[in-house]
Amino acid sequence: MIFFGLLLVLMFLGLVLQHFIGPVPMLGARVLLMQMVMLYGALALPLPGMLAVTFAGGLMWDALHTQWIGDSVNEGQVEIAMGWSIVLYAALGTIMSGFRPLFLRGRWEIHCLLTGFCTSVMVLAEYLMITLRRQPITFVLDASVWWKIGGAGLLATMLAPLFFFLLNYLALLTGYDPQPEQQPGKLKR
Amino acid sequence: MIKDKLNYIIGGAFVFLLIAVFLFFSSPVRMQRVQAGFLGMISPFLKQGSGLQKKYTGLREGLRTLEQIEGEVKRLRVANKELSATNQMLRGLEAENNRLRNSLGYREKSLFNLMPGRIIARDASTWYQKIVIDRGKEEGIDPDMPVLTPEGLVGKTTIVSAHSSQVVLIADENCRVSASVEGTREQGIVKGERATGAGMPAIGLGFLSKQADLKPGMSVFTSGVGGVFPYGVMLGKIKEFSKRELDGHATLTPAVDFSAIEDVFVVVGKKEEEK
Repeated sequence: MIFFGLLLVLMFLGLVLQHFIGPVPMLGARVLLMQMVMLYGALALPLPGMLAVTFAGGLMWDALHTQWIGDSVNEGQVEIAMGWSIVLYAALGTIMSGFRPLFLRGRWEIHCLLTGFCTSVMVLAEYLMITLRRQPITFVLDASVWWKIGGAGLLATMLAPLFFFLLNYLALLTGYDPQPEQQPGKLKR
Repeated sequence: MIKDKLNYIIGGAFVFLLIAVFLFFSSPVRMQRVQAGFLGMISPFLKQGSGLQKKYTGLREGLRTLEQIEGEVKRLRVANKELSATNQMLRGLEAENNRLRNSLGYREKSLFNLMPGRIIARDASTWYQKIVIDRGKEEGIDPDMPVLTPEGLVGKTTIVSAHSSQVVLIADENCRVSASVEGTREQGIVKGERATGAGMPAIGLGFLSKQADLKPGMSVFTSGVGGVFPYGVMLGKIKEFSKRELDGHATLTPAVDFSAIEDVFVVVGKKEEEK
């Protein structure tokens, strides 16, 4: 429970910190810190915990990024309704949960690969949603778009080991063992 | 035991979906309240972060020699005198212009009340172009207020919390501004372009006539149509003009460097006319 609370706090701090990290020069891709903490939680926590962190992550993201369109905010039109990110994050969290048995056995690389994949899917899904919502529907699919989508996943994959070791360490400090089925003698943190 | 666990999971998933569906269909007013509430919650942290970032940048920039600082002070003094002189001259011209407009029966060009604000955060998402400023409802800010700098238009306010507001930039595809091109009768709509790299975001001017004779370097200003943005605020300069199937389209170099601005002004209302 302490670790769950800690994850929520770290997600919030990750979201704050994310505002001060600009896009990577040349790529335009961003480091999505809040989502990285959330994806770790989706793998390290059991299903109810996964649902709770993805819910919190989606709610925080939508509360900051729901875009109001039209000539005036008072027209009351939003581009992507609040709640979509919750569903998207929960769907990706469910995929991650599916790999949890491997993670429990100590396969830490699963976390890195899935974090990269899920981060790219998040950015791609956002892109598809705004493209289908904006009129006329025009798919701009040039190199910069692909770099933003793929680059975010690539950055997440590269940073994931750091997050894994740090968060695993914090989990053990708070008395929660995220990989209880790990064979003795293997790398734990 | 397993059945209990399954019930627990199904119950959790059901509650989860119920809340998500509730959010989907919540009213715009409620959504704005949730957004303003969260913005209010996160903005003290953003202000602290922005302050720390400024201190760090200031520390790095502060490592200069005395000679460099003296040189800069001299340069700023000269620039200050020049600007004061120009300002004096422009005040005279403004008064004269208003008098002439009056005599011609035109509406006197309005002056606006400006509220200075500091940028405390830039957008953290991939596809949107937004900033957060440290002025909110308590300081007299409302949604849909134009935001500008001395260089030109920045955007308009959207979500407003007690002491902070989100500003959607004109470089965002969702922010549309009616515009006119200097020295021509051409009018169009300025909006951001989605696929931009990590550098300066591009903005485009669409719905121009195909016969438009636009050349690079021509200035583009707000036309005031629509009522949100005031008339005559600089948007940018034409970079290139191309003819499309139905209309003409120009790409613009924005007047404001969105990645470098730190302070902005919010147009909070019209000033009382000065007689």
